[in-house]
Parts: sequence; structure tokens; C-alpha cells
Amino acid sequence: MISITSEPIDLCQILVETKDGSSGGTTLFVGSVRDHNEKERIFQIHYEAYKEMAEQNLAEIENEVRTRWDIKRFVAVHRTGSLKVGDISVAVAVSAEHRKEAFEACKYGVDAIKMRAPIWKKEVSVSGGGWVEGFPLDSE
Amino acid sequence: MAREEEQTYPTITVKLFASSREIIGKDKITLKLSEKMTALDLRRMILEQFPQVARKIQFVIAINRKIADDATTLDQMDEVAILPPVSGG
Repeated sequence: MISITSEPIDLCQILVETKDGSSGGTTLFVGSVRDHNEKERIFQIHYEAYKEMAEQNLAEIENEVRTRWDIKRFVAVHRTGSLKVGDISVAVAVSAEHRKEAFEACKYGVDAIKMRAPIWKKEVSVSGGGWVEGFPLDSE
Repeated sequence: MAREEEQTYPTITVKLFASSREIIGKDKITLKLSEKMTALDLRRMILEQFPQVARKIQFVIAINRKIADDATTLDQMDEVAILPPVSGG
């Protein structure tokens, strides 16, 4: 399951989606809004996505994961809109026969989403905040 | 009258996101599309018409939800977007 959503992320639902009788382990990464950056206190983060392209991008990342590791289920969900400190912004879950594949595939998925998905965050901080300097995209 | 004028040449709509949307102040812009126009031509046109973007951000151009290389040619029906550096997660 791949999704860019403005609704709160339901972790129980994500674990249900990863259930597979032939898997022996599931890894779940949960990213949430931190109350600070390197310089100051953060109150809120606003996430914006190019939804259609981001969902296509997440599906490509799932395909890459599946060619590299033998996994059972892959779930990646990213939230958009204004999130408060502690709110979940992203979740990636992978089930596999063994933990090694589940851990590695989950890390790859999270890293790829952060570096490649057309999603942007704007921090709201004491001094006002702004768009976070991110990863420049490249054509392949 | 304005409507007639708009229809005299083909145009392309470019979606804007995040910092590019805020700098330009719109969520999309419409630009004149010339024959055999490439992604590089489009980039130059954007930088010329919106120099404030060039001063503040790097960006890539996506065509039909794929990052385009400079030589990719544009069609009027293409879905085009400006993508500033990403920061999801």
C-alpha cells in the first residue's frame, strides 16, 4: 500500500496491511514532527506534496525494494498538511521471511522517500520558520 | 478581447510547489509554448520572467511526473511542474 494523505496516519492499519502468513518479521519506521531543529524550537511543520507524482514515486521505490530484497509486503504512507509536534509525518513498514531483509528494505524505503519523493516541509518556529533546505532532484 | 488574445498561441501550464509557489505567489503559471520547446528552454523562460526564483532556489522540471532532462521536448498536453529541492520525511 502506497499513499500520500492529508488524514492522520493509522499505524494499526499499516501493520494490518503488512500481515502475511509467510513472513517471520515486520519492521515499522515512524517519522514524527520534532520540537526543534539545529537552531531553534519548532511548533509545527507544514507538509506539501505533488501528490500524483509522489505516489508514483513511492510505487517506483517499492519496485526497487522488491528487486533488491525478497520481501512480502511493503507499505509507505506520507502525510500532508499542518502537523503539530509529535504528529506522525511518514510511516514505512516491510514484512519479510527474515528480519535482515525487513530491516534493510525498510531503511532503503525511508531514505529513498526522503531524498526523492516530491514532498516539502515548512517549519513554523520562534523566529518564523521557512521551507527546509532539502535534497536537489536529478534526472536519471 | 482578452480571451481571443489568449487563444492566438499555444500555452503550457506549469504547476508550482513549496518555495517556488510562495516566491511566485501562484500555484500555477501559464507560459507561451513555442515549437520544439525543450525543458531547458522552459527553464530559461521561467528564470527570465521570474528572476526572483533564480536568486532563491534551485529547481528541476518534471514533465508528466518524471524529472525531465534538458533536451526533453514539451507538448501542449504535458503535465509540467517546477520541483524545488525535496524535504519529505
